[in-house]
Amino acid sequence: MMGGMTAASSDAPASGEAAASTTRASATGADLADLLRRSARGDEAAFAALYDATSRRLFGLVLRIVRDHAMSEEVTQEVYLDVWRQCARFDPARGSAMSWLMTIAHRSAVDRVRASEASRRRDDAHAATSLDVDFDTTAESAHASLEAQRVRRALTTLTDAQRSAVELAYLGGYTHTEVARLLDLPLGTAKTRIRDGLIRLRDTLGVPA
Amino acid sequence: MSPDLHHLSGAYAVDALDDTERASFEQHLAVCADCRAEAVELSATAHSLSSLAEATPPPSLRASVLAGIAQVRPLPPLTAENEAEPDVGGTVVPIRRRRRTAWFAAAAAAAVIAVGGVAWSPWSDDAGAPSPMARVAAAADATTVRNTQGGVTTQVAYSKQLGKAAISVKGLPPAPDGKTYQVWYVGAGGTITSAGLFGVDADGSGQALLAGEATPTDKVAVSVEPAGGSAQPTTDPLVVIPLV
Repeated sequence: MMGGMTAASSDAPASGEAAASTTRASATGADLADLLRRSARGDEAAFAALYDATSRRLFGLVLRIVRDHAMSEEVTQEVYLDVWRQCARFDPARGSAMSWLMTIAHRSAVDRVRASEASRRRDDAHAATSLDVDFDTTAESAHASLEAQRVRRALTTLTDAQRSAVELAYLGGYTHTEVARLLDLPLGTAKTRIRDGLIRLRDTLGVPA
Repeated sequence: MSPDLHHLSGAYAVDALDDTERASFEQHLAVCADCRAEAVELSATAHSLSSLAEATPPPSLRASVLAGIAQVRPLPPLTAENEAEPDVGGTVVPIRRRRRTAWFAAAAAAAVIAVGGVAWSPWSDDAGAPSPMARVAAAADATTVRNTQGGVTTQVAYSKQLGKAAISVKGLPPAPDGKTYQVWYVGAGGTITSAGLFGVDADGSGQALLAGEATPTDKVAVSVEPAGGSAQPTTDPLVVIPLV
């Protein structure tokens, strides 16, 4: 399946991907908010465009947390169905569309791994890591967005402990208690590291719209 | 507010709190605008990290998603009529007759709270996060019970699968100074257990995930208690709602 990424380029998603990278690079927020508004009126084409513009980001995050490929697809599908159902409830005055989507996705992924036993994720971790490599084709890393570079640079302003804590919590889906144990921090300090790290990241990146 | 709670905003933004911490922080958020603003910002900041994890989903997923949405009606926007409807696919079941335990007898005499209708704005939408109600109501087996009396609409969502319940109120005035709202489980045998404290914003709206495990025979009650909460209710319940 992963090897087929380029072979599958005749499918609609491939053209969607092109559109997606353009969208990401430009006025993502306003565009996405508009797509959500149209989706709320039952516009399936608008939702398809929303999917094309956000699915790499959303699926990638879910996959990173959940690890198991089939389960990640399942969670991603549930998230999009949930988004479709709820898009009339999105209020652009209260945060960006991307943030809204990713909040739903992150929580769903985290809920799933916590519910389905940590052992499973650890067992599959190795296989998933090799999958990641397969997915990370040259073509894709080419538009491995400017934002990723910006974020990577901003992460260097964090202390090692802050960066590890933030990454384990957000990309690893671990609780702050688990993070403390993983990093050999005194219990209760991981949540402070996470907050301090995020604050520094916010100040470096600027608050996303 | 308590510096301890303040420091949870980061962990909250990255979903690194356990259920109990999350519930109590959300109760705190309902009454702390600073933390609310910080949680929104830190959440948006955290999501920028997802740019590091991009991966292309298989084309078949796009097809499944689009086939899936074709069969689901998007929820209507929130309006005065439907604002307290369950957010996600829950079934609304009529409220059942109250069980007359000693406390419920008092319930009958509970003063009716008369407050005009106000805009429904659960704080959790500020962060763009699914509200406690939405999270519970999203469970496949979720049921939602709704009760309106004296201008106060109370809804309780419950999932047996999750063992969790969430409550939302609308039109409830903030608790008087030095007081707080406290939620209770009332078991079939009449045992009463705290399900946590409960804040209401200036609009009279609030939501909370109930602490502890909910069982189908429980009822959920709300009372006014001294700040910090009580071990057992000290005032008559304002409302009593069965979980199913």
